Amino acid sequence: MTAYYLGLDMGSAFSKGVLMKTDRVVTSYACPTGGEIKVTAERIRDEVLLKAGAAKQDILKTVATGYGSKTVFFANVTVTDMSAHAKGVIHLCPSIRTVVDIGDLYSKVFRIDSQGNLQSFLLSGKCAGGSGRALTMIAKVLQLKIEEMGEIALRSTKKVEFSTGCAVFAESEAVSRIAEGVAKEDLLAGFYRALAAQLNALAERLGLEPDYAMVGGGARNAGLVKAMEDLYGFEIVVPPDPHMTAALGAALIAAETVRQEIKVRQ
Amino acid sequence: MAEEQRKPKKRMTATKAAASIGPMVKEFITGTNRARAEGKRKLAYTFIVCHHEEILRAMDVLPVWTENFAGICGVKRAAERFLQKAESLGFSRSLCTYALCGLGFDQWREELGEMPPDAPWGGQARPDFMISSGQILCDPRTKWYQAAQQFMPDVPIYNIDLPHPLFDPKKDHREVWGYYHKYIVDQLRGLVSFVEEQTGKKMDYDRLRELVALSDRTWNLVHETYELRQAVPCPMGTGDAMNTMVPLCFMMATQEAYDFYVNLKQELEEKIARGEGEVEDEKYRLLWGGGLPAWYALNDFNYLNSKGASFPAETTYRMVVPIYEMDIPETDDPIEHIAWKWLGYWTHWYDKARNRPGSEPDVERLIEYIENYKIDGVVMHLAFSCRTWHVGLIWQLHQLAKIYRPIPVLMLGGNGKGDKVQRELPSLILESDIIDITSYSEMDTRNKIDAFIETLESVRQTKAA
Repeated sequence: MTAYYLGLDMGSAFSKGVLMKTDRVVTSYACPTGGEIKVTAERIRDEVLLKAGAAKQDILKTVATGYGSKTVFFANVTVTDMSAHAKGVIHLCPSIRTVVDIGDLYSKVFRIDSQGNLQSFLLSGKCAGGSGRALTMIAKVLQLKIEEMGEIALRSTKKVEFSTGCAVFAESEAVSRIAEGVAKEDLLAGFYRALAAQLNALAERLGLEPDYAMVGGGARNAGLVKAMEDLYGFEIVVPPDPHMTAALGAALIAAETVRQEIKVRQ
Repeated sequence: MAEEQRKPKKRMTATKAAASIGPMVKEFITGTNRARAEGKRKLAYTFIVCHHEEILRAMDVLPVWTENFAGICGVKRAAERFLQKAESLGFSRSLCTYALCGLGFDQWREELGEMPPDAPWGGQARPDFMISSGQILCDPRTKWYQAAQQFMPDVPIYNIDLPHPLFDPKKDHREVWGYYHKYIVDQLRGLVSFVEEQTGKKMDYDRLRELVALSDRTWNLVHETYELRQAVPCPMGTGDAMNTMVPLCFMMATQEAYDFYVNLKQELEEKIARGEGEVEDEKYRLLWGGGLPAWYALNDFNYLNSKGASFPAETTYRMVVPIYEMDIPETDDPIEHIAWKWLGYWTHWYDKARNRPGSEPDVERLIEYIENYKIDGVVMHLAFSCRTWHVGLIWQLHQLAKIYRPIPVLMLGGNGKGDKVQRELPSLILESDIIDITSYSEMDTRNKIDAFIETLESVRQTKAA
């Protein structure tokens, strides 16, 4: 029997799965979470198994993470998304010590050690300001696809001050700016600077340690990454598929857990 | 509103003493209402930790603890309608929510001429006078009763100032504290005159002396009782201490308060003898390093307990240091003694802080508890509406991390070998409010707690011998 390890990241907007064989990623899958997390979790598991040509019983361990992780009934273990991201990030970029995760509901800043253990962290709290949800609101106002927003901001030529990273006020401020005739690219660049300032306040409270990475859906937005780099004055590493690092980390934890269990038995 | 209607799951206590507090608080709230109806004793709105209870009790004045009533509204998830009432009067939600809750309640009671419907535990009794003190740090306390006078213009206020010398790493506070002492004594004597005028009685100084001595004995007893929590496993945690602070903060200068701690001390000694901890399998020992709790979410302590986390110590509400450890002058005058006790408490960590470069008294207190109680991590709560007690908490954590790195860990170095390094204590910052439940998210809070537990576990596993 081939040994597979499944990592599932059940986010509030999107859910992701990574299937590993020994210590190699075999396949991955992502889809909107929707209203039924249990069904979505099963769907992701079935999709990755289908792509890998494997069966349910081939999975030795499943680790779930993300806000919906506790409803994944077939998961053997649940971990927080920060611990999962930490393992995923250190696997891809071993020099990283500070991670900014821009998820749909929350933004988080956390420090990790060389083994991918969580050292300290801060979350953005109940308010959605500075989170991925604010990006979605702006995309709606500007009638843009979320994936094209980042590149558009990079074309900005005029500095526009945007006063808030709040998801609710950002919408009304964007509407006012459009009425003033501000160009989309300038408006977006200004919005990203406001968002970056809010994330920076979180990061400064925690204390930063190089090297730095950005993960989560927000890290796929090149305009936001650039705004963060401009504010900090140093380079931010964005791992490949930054929205998948928590699912990857969860799969790595699954594999590690099995290795430890075998070691204990021996 | 929907959240408010959801009845919170009752917090499980680790001690019988903590479980007995609910009825005790209910009794002193209903007791003030009985006294109001009987009209024999004068009632005074006032605040805790002002070192004036001995004066009030010596003159048979019944304190109505307005912050306590707001806290009860919070615990019972019944504060929102009073907060909304205060907002309708033009008070901002970003002000102290204890004050907002109290003002909303008072206005409603005065408007109706009776208690608002379904007032928690019968409601808060109308006072004969109000005694405020912002100490030197809480401006809402100073303004709260002034605002309440809008609805109760016939109720007089007396405000006492209780300053203490601020910490200066280059100066010994004893050089100036005589001036502070004189000022506080004047303030307290002014309070005595005010209460004499309001009650029509003269102060009985022999009785005051007895009550001050009783308070001193209670202080020392609280200290000795709480020191028992250094035991491993810890017999009582901060969740319980948020109950057992009631006699200390609301019932000082009473025999009941003293007897309560006699019983608690005995209960803890028995638990220690049986090896019984707050949690069954104690894995992590945590310090509640600051911040008032989210009163509607005390169950979070049970959630932490369920992960093997115990809280042997807290800085919140532990407003005592033993009298015999205070370097204060002796005096037979009870008013002068109260003033020295005030100064002795607030300057207690000054000498230690002066001896550690970069330290501050609040940070020194954290270090003392971390060492004495074998602490693995620090938890703080930032309540958005209370800047008085909460501004500076994050700074304290930063200073702590800078000057104090007690954990040796093995880290895999570039050479592939384990390098021993010292790291700071892990910390968790929870954010919500004291009674405004709209600022709280259970999912968010528990997610943070889970991540903190994972951090503690990773430290435990990498800790060097």
